[in-house]
Amino acid sequence: MRRRRMTVPLALLLLAALAVSILPGCTPTTPVTAKVIKLGLSIPFTGAAAEKGAPIGQGQLDAFKYINDELGGVEGYTIEPVWYDTNYDAAKATTIVKKIMDDGCSFFTVVASKDMNASKEAANRAGFPGMVCFSSPSLTHPPKHIYAQLPDYGDDWAAFARYYLESIWKGEGKPKMALMLLNNSTGYGVKDAARAAADELGIEIVAVEEHTATTISETDALTRIKDKNPDVLFISSTPAPTAVILKNAYDLKMIPGLTVGCAHASFTKALIDLAGKDVTQGIYGVYPTVNWGDNVPGMAKMMEYCNKRHPEYAGNNDYLIGWASSLINAEIVRQAIKVSGGDALVKGDAAAWALMEKNGFMNVKNYDVEGLHGPVNFSDPVDKRGSKSVKIFQVKDGLLVSQTGWVDAPNILYENLDWFGK
Amino acid sequence: MSLPCGIRNYSYDTDTAIIHTRTQWVMFILFLIALYTMPLYLPRFGLDVINLMGITIVSIVGLNILVGYCGQLSIGHAGFMAVGAYTTAILGNSLGLPFLASLVLSGLSAGLVGLLFGMPSLRVKGFYLAITTIAAQFIIIWIINHWTDVTHGSMGISVEPASIGSFQFDTEAKQFYLIMSVAGLSVLFATNLARSRVGRAFIAVRDNDLAAEVMGINVFSYKLLAFFLGCFFAGIAGSLFAQWRGNITSEDFTFGQSILYIGILIIGGLGTAIGPMLGVIFIRLLEQFVIFLSPMIEQTFSGLPTGFATGLSSLVFGLAMIVFLIFEPRGLAHRWQLFKASYRLWPFSY
Repeated sequence: MRRRRMTVPLALLLLAALAVSILPGCTPTTPVTAKVIKLGLSIPFTGAAAEKGAPIGQGQLDAFKYINDELGGVEGYTIEPVWYDTNYDAAKATTIVKKIMDDGCSFFTVVASKDMNASKEAANRAGFPGMVCFSSPSLTHPPKHIYAQLPDYGDDWAAFARYYLESIWKGEGKPKMALMLLNNSTGYGVKDAARAAADELGIEIVAVEEHTATTISETDALTRIKDKNPDVLFISSTPAPTAVILKNAYDLKMIPGLTVGCAHASFTKALIDLAGKDVTQGIYGVYPTVNWGDNVPGMAKMMEYCNKRHPEYAGNNDYLIGWASSLINAEIVRQAIKVSGGDALVKGDAAAWALMEKNGFMNVKNYDVEGLHGPVNFSDPVDKRGSKSVKIFQVKDGLLVSQTGWVDAPNILYENLDWFGK
Repeated sequence: MSLPCGIRNYSYDTDTAIIHTRTQWVMFILFLIALYTMPLYLPRFGLDVINLMGITIVSIVGLNILVGYCGQLSIGHAGFMAVGAYTTAILGNSLGLPFLASLVLSGLSAGLVGLLFGMPSLRVKGFYLAITTIAAQFIIIWIINHWTDVTHGSMGISVEPASIGSFQFDTEAKQFYLIMSVAGLSVLFATNLARSRVGRAFIAVRDNDLAAEVMGINVFSYKLLAFFLGCFFAGIAGSLFAQWRGNITSEDFTFGQSILYIGILIIGGLGTAIGPMLGVIFIRLLEQFVIFLSPMIEQTFSGLPTGFATGLSSLVFGLAMIVFLIFEPRGLAHRWQLFKASYRLWPFSY
């Protein structure tokens, strides 16, 4: 009897899992007859990127609530976000994009570049348009059906390098730059951009060091970098490892003194919280949005929702990116409805996907995202980045202080470089 | 080998058969019919999950040979899958080799790499051997990330759908038949291997390598053979994964995946033929169940603290591992045996 006690619940659990998750017709989504347009969201709420995925995901969902509750949806159609947690796991992300297709979504949005890397082939093969919040060159080059909300990590490097040469570098000849890169597309995107454009800009790359997302010490790598005597260090990683690097650099007395720039994946309030005010003082960073609390049209409503629903993310610019992402999603739907009519999009089938891309994505031209980040343009068939603009910030007394207006990042045509992807 | 009540073997053939009775044959045929008609009624997503299950089964079958039968703990299995996946991608893209050839070569290349990292098994075992296989995981991924001329680094490699002649496995349904066929052959091979001389030698090495050596078993060569076979299946699984996904990067073969595979094997049942299948089905379904459950809980119970529902995934996996290790360390395969025994004897319990 004792043995059977465990066998029966196990069998029931397996059956329930099978029935709920795999069989058709069991998903909690709305029937296609309603005036509802479903959009898929693939969010790393848990896993190694949760510190970014969770605020972005909540920002996305809160913005859809705002759009539906206060704006009455889009052109009379309610937007239904169909979201799943990828756990920052590539295999899960691959199956989730198929689930989103089956759920009748008109297009999908992915938060993390790694998750989109896992999803893009299925989406491109099916002609299912998707947008990624955090992007790397490999997602949009060569251009197919994947669009980027923001400039990619390579663009961060290019924008920072230009700013450094124009506003910080006072020496003669080429400044020496060291790169500290996360060992995935977040880091390698910068390596590709540096390889493509460093000579042209007039920068000498003297060291490229890699680290993992779970690193606990980078003293060795920083010691090697110190030996090369660089003028500037550029880090492209997520907040936790970047905090480790900055603390190690502080202990090695490299900072203050050495100019440090960070790509946007790490440059948030979370970095200052993790590394501390003293360590981050004077650090530069690139970020593709305005700062929290800036006086732009969309800020007040976003802050109202954040304070009411997720006060723990107040001041976190990742929440802002998530909010902006949904505003862009709504704009894509608006453009598509204007041309195709909403009823053609409701089914979320292959025909709806094609209409959404042709009449939705491709008709988004210089949409201002209520001032939250640079204007978004998806109409260029070659450049699939929505926003091409970033701002340079500097940490002063624990706050991110804007140093520039919008700085445009050029589109590097990686596919024309003989070494890219070969 | 356990037989149903009232059944006896009267010949060598029936004694060595995997399926013994007419009822078992009928149930097996019904199972095959149910399995191979799945593309007719499952949606794209359902088939995709089952395809992933099939690929994972091939991989876990290999790990079971290595860890379950031969007792050589390997925590670098995802790395060996990466070898197979990249071999398929590179051979397919650069040399234009047909899929079946690259499938076999993927298995062989992963098997050879496995041999290399299996060599320390002569001198070390247990946790010490596990550390050398962890090193394999990191070394393989490091090479993939830095040998960019061949592996394309962070860009990854696109992989064309598998094809045999002019027939392309370019939809979930077509991939299903390919993956399930390979998975079926893998399970059949492993089942028969375990009953062969080699399988018995593996088990002897696992149970007591000194005693095995005294019996005349060449422990080192059998350990290496186990590494080769285990990694061969990892390579085959990697090859299937590459064509299933359509593009691969090193991020698809993480250390976390290697740990997950060990967890799947423990939950399924080490050293059993059916364990890998049950473990994979249980874990992959649980994953999908939690993916589905999180949004539902978040939408239904809006008062829950932020992140509660989305954190369920980690909680459920940790809990499943603990529950199995405490209450059923022999895994689901043992539960399956108990179920079959009670079913045969019903209504007489003993």
